[in-house]
Parts: sequence; structure tokens; C-alpha cells
Amino acid sequence: MKRELIVLAYLAGTLAYGGTVDDYIQNLAAQAKKQNPSFDGFSAKRGKNIYFSKHIGKRGKEISCASCHTNDPKQPGENIFTGKKIKPLSPSVNPKRFTDVKKIKKWLRRNFKDVYRREGSATEKGDILLFMRSN
Amino acid sequence: MKTIITTITTALLIGTVTLYGDGDRKKKQPYMPETGKAAELYKTECGACHMAYQPEFLPKRSWEKMMRTLSEHFDTDATLDREEYRTIQAYLLRNASDAKPVYGDTGKIARSIRAEQTPLRISQTRYFRKEHREIPKRLIVQKEVRSIANCTACHTKAEKGDYSERAIFIPNYGKWDD
Repeated sequence: MKRELIVLAYLAGTLAYGGTVDDYIQNLAAQAKKQNPSFDGFSAKRGKNIYFSKHIGKRGKEISCASCHTNDPKQPGENIFTGKKIKPLSPSVNPKRFTDVKKIKKWLRRNFKDVYRREGSATEKGDILLFMRSN
Repeated sequence: MKTIITTITTALLIGTVTLYGDGDRKKKQPYMPETGKAAELYKTECGACHMAYQPEFLPKRSWEKMMRTLSEHFDTDATLDREEYRTIQAYLLRNASDAKPVYGDTGKIARSIRAEQTPLRISQTRYFRKEHREIPKRLIVQKEVRSIANCTACHTKAEKGDYSERAIFIPNYGKWDD
């Protein structure tokens, strides 16, 4: 009974937030295709490049995603500005990662703005998600 | 009706007693934070990047400004979705330093803010600066601390609202004796 309730609550949760992570990624793919007709799928290789490339971020300092999340997404990171510890990004060591669409959207929005000083495109978001999930 | 009156009287009594217990007297008021969903949301959302500072540190006008400027939150994007925004804003405003009586170190900081000021950084308030002025810069910039805003690095019970001297332990230094 308890398990059924949990499943129900989970379903209600995912419905309220617009579907599962896979739905979200399919959605991004549709958007990417619309923006660029020659789009033929997300690339973990491009995602890796997004993760490691350095930019003058919102704080005026040169940073990349790796600045806080480290060169190895399996390792715990640390917010280099506040010192707050960050749990590993890699779902292989932190299974809770990339399971909540709402959370994914929020952090993609914030972190693209912090590092790239702009929103990520649908292609970029899908690429980085693929890279993260394959880690 | 009788219950209501009793409740009000009790509340008033507690209020009076705690009010007089404030100040520099040795007897400390335990910090009694609001608990529940809004408090939890505040902790998960704001606490994802830094300690979720007790709302009692700052007045309502500071929290209002903070929430209005989340897209440029100390040069970081800290935007929230509408529902979370509303919950957190209401939580901050009902627990702000001028929304209820506040005690202890949080209260001292709040009371050191002048009426014409609307600080966003707790670390720029008068009482905070006075209390931290003797700390050498190297202890603050070291990688175990990084920022004066990182309360928990040295105040081991900061998340419980306890900033007492006996709960201070500075990395690579040790206990702090005033």
C-alpha cells in the first residue's frame, strides 16, 4: 500500500512538472530541430565542450561549469564563490541527479546565465544533459 | 473563547518575559525558528548555494529588495519559479527582524541597521563588522572559508541560529577567544 502511494505521489509529481526527464529531452530535441533543420540528435561530445569551455561569467571572473563542479562530475564540487559543497553531478554516483524536470530547468537556466551570461539554446541544453547523464 | 483568551494571555506573558530577557544579560533566548514547508523550501532553494541565513538578520525592506533582484543576486542568477518565489518571499517577510521580536546575535545585527539603510549583505551591517574586525584576512580568504558570508565555516552551529563564542572554530586557527 505504502509503495503504491509513493508511486502515485511520484506520478502526480511528474505530471505537475510536465512529464518525465525523457519527455523533457524529447521536447528539447523538437525545439532544436525547429531552430535548426539539420539538427540530427544531441551530442555528448558537444556537451563536454560546453562543460569545460571557459567564459567570463556573470561575476566578471573566467569560469567554466568545471570551476565549481570539478573536472570529474563524479567528484563532489564546491561553489567557488560561497564555499558551499555541491554533491556530485554524475548520476552514476548520485542517482538523484537529473530525475526532476523542474530542477533541471532551473539549474540549466541559472548556470548558463552564470557561466555564459545568456540562456542556453535547446541544442546546448540537450547536449549538456546527454554528457551529464552519460557520466 | 476561554481557550483563546488563555492562549493570548500566555502568548503575551511569554512575549513580555522574553522581551525583558533581551539585551546583554547572560541568559540567552534560544532561537525558535519557524518550521514547516516554507522554511524547508527556503532551506533547499536558498541553501543550495549558501547557508540559508536566518531571516531575522534583516528587516523587511532588505528582503523585499533581495527578492526583487534575484536575477542579479550578488552577480549570480538566483531566479525562482512563481510559486516558490511567493512562498519564500512570504516566509522571509513574516520572519524579518521588524516583523516580530528577535533576540541574541541576530537581533543585535538587525538593530545595528539604521532606518535609512537597506542592506543586502548581513556582513555589511555595523554590528557584524564590529564583531569580525579582528579576524585576519588570511583566515577569511583561505579555501576552507572563502568568504565572510560563509557563516558555517567557523560558526559550527550557525544553521541552528547559534552564533555563540563557544561554537566558533576557525579552520587552521582553532577556537576564537575575544
